Amino acid sequence: MRELLKKLSLAFGPSGCEDKVREIIENEIKDKLPKGATMTTDNTGNLIVHIPNEGKTKLMVNAHMDEVGFMVTGILENGMLKFGCVGGIDPVVLGSKRVIFESGVKGNVAVKPVHLLTKEEYKAGPRVKNMSIDIGATTKEEAEKITFVGDYFTFDSDYIEYGEGFVKCKALDDRLGCAIMCQVIKDIYEENIKSDYDLYFAFTCREEVGYSGAFGASMKIKPDYALVIESKAVGDIYGSPDEKKVSILGDGVIISFADRGAIYDRDFVRHIMSLCDKEKIKYQTNKYISGGNDSANIQKNASGAKVSVLSCASRYIHSQSDVIHLEDFENTYQTVLAVIKSAVPTKE
Amino acid sequence: MEQIKKILKDLCDGFSVSGHELYGKEVIEKLAGGIFDEVRTDNLGNFILVKKSNKENAKKLLIDAHFDTVGMMVSQIKDGGFLKFVEVGGLDASVLPSTEVIIHGKEDVYGIITSTPPHLKVAGTGTPKLEDLMIDTGYSKERLEELVWVGAPVCFKNNVDFIYGNNVTSAGLDDKACLCAIFDAVSKMDKDNMAYNVYVTASAQEETGKCGPARASFEIEPDIAIITDVNFAKMEKGEDFESIEMGKGAGIDISSLVDRKLTRSIRELLDSKGINYQIVCEPTRTGTNNDALSISSFGVRTALMSIPLRSMHTPSETVNLGDIKSLSSILLAVATKEEL
Repeated sequence: MRELLKKLSLAFGPSGCEDKVREIIENEIKDKLPKGATMTTDNTGNLIVHIPNEGKTKLMVNAHMDEVGFMVTGILENGMLKFGCVGGIDPVVLGSKRVIFESGVKGNVAVKPVHLLTKEEYKAGPRVKNMSIDIGATTKEEAEKITFVGDYFTFDSDYIEYGEGFVKCKALDDRLGCAIMCQVIKDIYEENIKSDYDLYFAFTCREEVGYSGAFGASMKIKPDYALVIESKAVGDIYGSPDEKKVSILGDGVIISFADRGAIYDRDFVRHIMSLCDKEKIKYQTNKYISGGNDSANIQKNASGAKVSVLSCASRYIHSQSDVIHLEDFENTYQTVLAVIKSAVPTKE
Repeated sequence: MEQIKKILKDLCDGFSVSGHELYGKEVIEKLAGGIFDEVRTDNLGNFILVKKSNKENAKKLLIDAHFDTVGMMVSQIKDGGFLKFVEVGGLDASVLPSTEVIIHGKEDVYGIITSTPPHLKVAGTGTPKLEDLMIDTGYSKERLEELVWVGAPVCFKNNVDFIYGNNVTSAGLDDKACLCAIFDAVSKMDKDNMAYNVYVTASAQEETGKCGPARASFEIEPDIAIITDVNFAKMEKGEDFESIEMGKGAGIDISSLVDRKLTRSIRELLDSKGINYQIVCEPTRTGTNNDALSISSFGVRTALMSIPLRSMHTPSETVNLGDIKSLSSILLAVATKEEL
């Protein structure tokens, strides 16, 4: 599963350009689909795998394929590119980072040298409008040979496992969810798992720009329950106040109660916690309400599904160095598998 | 050009944060082998490389580029595998969060500079304070104490990317781009034609004190010296005139702190040979090794040359390979011309 995580995370896929990620997923699971299962791509570009169990409660397992990235918005006379961010990126993680275009063209986020910044400029901090992309072109004409206004690019990042069980790469948000879903689908096929649910796996698009893909996917599926697999931005660094740490890397899958976009279904959340207790899967909760994800749109769409979110705690999210702990990744996978194998939750 | 790429990659892959230049000894010795007659180091950390002319009583030409780079140093080891650090040379804290680094402890340890998610920031936006940033190593404190020590040097984890338009992006191109030009030039110098005995200083501690070649000049006592360093490449149109353009050749600096006659003679030489260069104006101090070297020993006649560089002191400095080649050609021409 780590090999797949690496392959998926390194793939090019800013919001709206998920094709390459979708292709990897399709190739990964097309020969591992259980009997009767279907794999379709909808108009938005969501990839939906249906493992039918007719008449049963519909469970939609969800992870988004897209990552944060950038778009060329202008080309300057000196060959430098102006750009905008696709999704929310803190300008403080941008300066001097390497970037890569879908075509393979490489560049970096050029900044005014620190020697030439005025005190005020330095204090005010980095602004996207003060940065430009250096792709090596020295005139506009040169730049136009290898890029164009509207071209997309992402962080150029390596996949590195470091320290005691950590991994860093761009786009772990949310390729980790995609990798887990692929593995679960393979498990169902290989171990011939019979789920109590009518199962849907939705690999969605455009999460980073307003959870847009999940709209179409959940409209089509009309799930009773939805389980979103995500990565969660946490402040787990030395010296942070406890509540601002949100959750701790390595302390297990995060089973949250709510985020800024949704309050999750209480019974479903409790059901998952009791499954983890039973299966002895390490889990934690979130100590701070922050962030949002596809659950917001799934919850308020057509069927108004009962949602719950499983996430891996992630440091430095939306940068070239998303960091997660591999044990959390494993625990998240185990939890998804446990949910799929469990009976539909009943009210206590 | 292939030779330049190869030298540059070797230099940039070598570790040489200010004060720790001798860590890069292997790289310098490997590159200098076959090009120079002699390689030695001094107590400060300078590499002094000598190639002698076959001419009798040849005068001494010193060519300097600093080998050291900006970086960091471990200052405290904290719980959860985090390291506090201090800067070595001038860093821009606004480009550091999420940057990858290598700590040179008992073994090389990988780390990432911390970044607090926007919605959890206490201090709000703006450039973070250096003292609030840390290096995340992913180890326990106990393990980390075995691997690194307070004072261990830290450099940016680097990839040398040769990109479009004959450009290269890497950390440490300040000043390894110039050092590369020097190696390339000296490799082409023919002992029978050399007008000077050439002393190259791959010097130490420019980023922290600009003292390297000044120290070495007491020992070498050069007749003339050429300092080579990178200079700010124009990034936006209409930016100040004290910067030079990428891809238009190396620059010859005019400043109150360089020797006027030497600079003029070099320009005349280049003009007569049709070698292209740009003019860089540094009305007062140059902010390079020139300033200390020119007043070292009994005073040295110096000239200053520049290679334009984008995004200085970041992990993604960018230079044009043509500009490196240009500096190499200029140095080669100078080394064969007597009576400058």
